[in-house]
Order: sequence, then structure tokens, then C-alpha cells
Amino acid sequence: MRRIAYLVKESMTNIRLNRTTTLVAVASTAFTLACFGVFLLLYLNLRGVVSSLQDDIKIVVYLHDGLSGQGLSDLQQRLKGEREVATLSYVSKEQALADFREQFPSEYHLLQGLGENPLPASFVVTLAPRFRSSEAVRQWAKRLTTMAGVAQVQYSRDWIENLATVIGFIELGAVAVGSILSAASVTIIASTIRLTLLARRDEIEILRLVGATGAFIKVPYLLEGAVLGAVGGLLSLAILRGGFDLFKLQLGPTGRFLGVESWLNFFPGHVSLLIIGAGLALGFTGSLVSLIQFGRASA
Amino acid sequence: MGIGYTAGKPAGIMIQLFHVSKYYDRRPALSDINLLIEKGEFVLLMGPSGAGKTTLLKLLFGTERPDDGQILVQNRNVARLRASAIPYLRRTMGIVFQDFRLLPKKNVFENVALPLMVQGTSTFEIRRKVTEALKAVGVDHKKDQRPATLSAGEQQRVCIARAIVNSPIILLADEPTGNLDPHLSSEIIELFKVINARGTTIMVATHNPQVMAQANRRVLRLDQGKLVAD
Repeated sequence: MRRIAYLVKESMTNIRLNRTTTLVAVASTAFTLACFGVFLLLYLNLRGVVSSLQDDIKIVVYLHDGLSGQGLSDLQQRLKGEREVATLSYVSKEQALADFREQFPSEYHLLQGLGENPLPASFVVTLAPRFRSSEAVRQWAKRLTTMAGVAQVQYSRDWIENLATVIGFIELGAVAVGSILSAASVTIIASTIRLTLLARRDEIEILRLVGATGAFIKVPYLLEGAVLGAVGGLLSLAILRGGFDLFKLQLGPTGRFLGVESWLNFFPGHVSLLIIGAGLALGFTGSLVSLIQFGRASA
Repeated sequence: MGIGYTAGKPAGIMIQLFHVSKYYDRRPALSDINLLIEKGEFVLLMGPSGAGKTTLLKLLFGTERPDDGQILVQNRNVARLRASAIPYLRRTMGIVFQDFRLLPKKNVFENVALPLMVQGTSTFEIRRKVTEALKAVGVDHKKDQRPATLSAGEQQRVCIARAIVNSPIILLADEPTGNLDPHLSSEIIELFKVINARGTTIMVATHNPQVMAQANRRVLRLDQGKLVAD
């Protein structure tokens, strides 16, 4: 217990004695994790949006005008039997016209000019969860068009596929930026610890001579690195939170983004903890790298 | 048990060197050294600068490895000891340096407590042993002061207190009076005699004839890396 207290005290002394380098290390870790965090926030929010949009994916199956009652019934039975279908609802020509009138009251007079109701009847299908990927939707829609009585199949394929591609790029960007900045952060923390090690070279030598084991000498520096990293992680969370709130505040009053701000969420608790953990791991790794290099140099 | 060991006749072998050689850049720092030191002995290692005195001490406390030969300390072959076992060997030794090597940011008490701290000794035991060691060397009243506020003689006493606080079996001193005036040197040698009388084996490396005269003990003479007289 006494030894643990000594090791913790030593690491805190190291931090106190090297304020400037400590600040640089904490700031660089915070910057690294904040940059990575921006990508992560973007990625998680977009993925959330896509996920909720995919839940809402509806496929509209338009029917031929001349489809008989029997044909309609057969098609309905066939669609109900499909694995892809979660719910199925029928929209008659009259219902379609009523919906149009409700949604576009100012355009209704255009249809009146045509005399006969030009809107087709349709089935609106919501998909079972495991058939909501863009590829599954595309395959099934293609099959639908071959069914008797089906005039046209419509769904928002391109939009969903494009969003999925964008998310893929963001994911890639987060990994690339995260890797590069993590390496930079490890290097900076390693340099910070190396400066401490050099400043305390004599002390380390004395500790060795009075019988300190390698672990006893190294633990304070590993602790120091881990503390610097974790504090950097915390600071990055604070920066991200501040930026996030400011961004939401900017979106809110403009009303230009159709209430998209209500869909945006900050990291859930476990992701925040992961970011602090990532800072801690970066700091620990930086110290370890420095200790290995110092051990080689002083061997 | 207090500091040191019960006084008595030397019994058994403490240090043995068999054909030990050490080279730096192919130049011999020590050549074919054979040596036997018994438990409880007080040995002076004499010789001019560059004779190999410090190298010999370094081989004994394991900061250097011999290129040839074997070194037995308390029947353990230091030449073949694993690196991870070296700290445990050092815990049985006390080491005194010419330049004291005290930690400037720690006070006297904390400096002396260091060997106990690295072993995880309890707070109570640390307080007891450090107080005892400081009293033994006569600087217990300075325990709260930083090394920089002490005289050279006091700093060397603190260094000796740190070396004996762990009740070492062997005490190795490298030019312990090198930075001290003759009066302080003689005080330090008397202190070593007291420690030796309690049973600790002592080896002091020095080039100072005054130390040799005052100590009046066995002398090993090194010259250009060779043991020329015993």
C-alpha cells in the first residue's frame, strides 16, 4: 500500500514539475481525440438517421388501371406470401385522389381538368427488417415488376444508396484521420515522458542502485502517461460537447434544416467512456514507447 | 534487528573473484583478477585514478558484467545473474558514492528511506529504521532538511545512512572521502569502522594514503587493471 502511494505520488510530482510539457501533451491528445470525435459524431448520427430512414422505407407498387377484382385479390395474396413484406396496405384510386387533394390542395385543380381520375391504385409495402439493405430492396423491386398487374414499382433507392456510400467514406475518413492523429499523439506523449525521464536520469540511476526493480521505476511514468491521456480524452469530450451544442443552437432558429437538429444526438455514455479510455491508452502507449527507448539508451 | 550484524570473527567467504577481466573498447580495465574477501572484513582498494577500482565495485553491484571470469557474492554468481535478479542482489548491499548521489528534491529522511521504500517496507518500520540509521551517523537532527542545505560531510553521512538503513551484508564505498577535507575524511573512516565492527563486510575504494593509514586494514592494490599487491 505504502509502495502504491509512493508510485502515485511520484507520477503526480512528475506532472507538477513539468507543467508546460504536460499541457502540450494533454492539448495534443485532446486535439487528436476531438478531431476523431467529430468524425465519430458525424458517423454515429448519420448511421442513426439512415437506420431510422430504413425503418421507414416504403415500396409503392402501382397497379394497372384495368386490373380485375380477381387479379387484385391474387396479387394481394401473392404479396402477403412474400418474405420481404412486413405490412401491406391497399390504396384505391379514390383514396389516392383524396390523399393528393389533402397533400397538395393548391394543385388539385390540375387533376380536375383531366376529367377522369388519373391516379393509379397501389399497394404500399413496408419491408421486414432483414430485407432493408439497398441491395435487397433493389433485387425485390426488380422481381415485383415481373408480377401480373404491376405497372410500376417506386422507392427511394438512389437516395438511400448515396447516403450509405457517404457513411462508408466518413467511416474510412475517421479511421484514417484517427490513425494518423493517434500516432502523432503517441509521439508527443512519448516525447513528454522522455523529457521527464531525461530530467530525472540521476534519480532513476539512484533508484536502480538501491535495489528498485524495473517495474518500480517504470510505473510512475506509465501512470503519468495514462493520466495525461485520460485528461486529454476528457478535455476532448468537453470540446466536442461545446461544439455540438453550439452547432445545434445554430441550426435551431434558422428552421432551414427541417427539424434535423432534433435527430442529432451526442455520444451515449459508453462511447464517451470509450473516448476517455482511448486517451488513457494513447498516453500509456506513449509512456511505454518512451520507457523502451530510454531503457535501450541507458542499458 | 538493528543496523549491521553481531560483531565477531570473520566466518565464511563473502566475495570471490576468479580470473575476472573487463574491457572497454578492447582496452583492459581489469585483467585476470583473483580475490577472496571473508565475511566481516574491512578491505581498502587502493590505486591511482584509472586503476580499475570503480570498475571492480561496479562488477560487484552488478552495473557492469565481466567479460571473463566469475564473481561470487554471498555464493551467488553475479556474472551470470539475470537482469531481473540484480535489484534483489543490491538490496543486500549498501553503496556509498564520492558525489553522495542524494535526491535534491527530497529531504534527508526521504533520501535515507529510499532503499526501504523500493522494498515495500511498512511505514512504521521505515520510520524506525531511518531514525536509527540517522542517529548512527549523527545527522538525525537534520532529517527534515534538503541535501543542498547540508555541509559536504553531512551529505556524506546521509549517503552512508542510506547505505546502512537496510542492514546490508556488504557496504561498498567508491572514494567516499574524495570530496571531504582531512578532518571530515577521518570522521567518515571512523564511522565505517563502527559499521564494520557490527559485522558488515566493507570495501572502500580510495586513492588517498591518509585513509589507508587511518583505517589500518587489509589493502588491495590495483594498478592499470591488475591486482599488484594484497
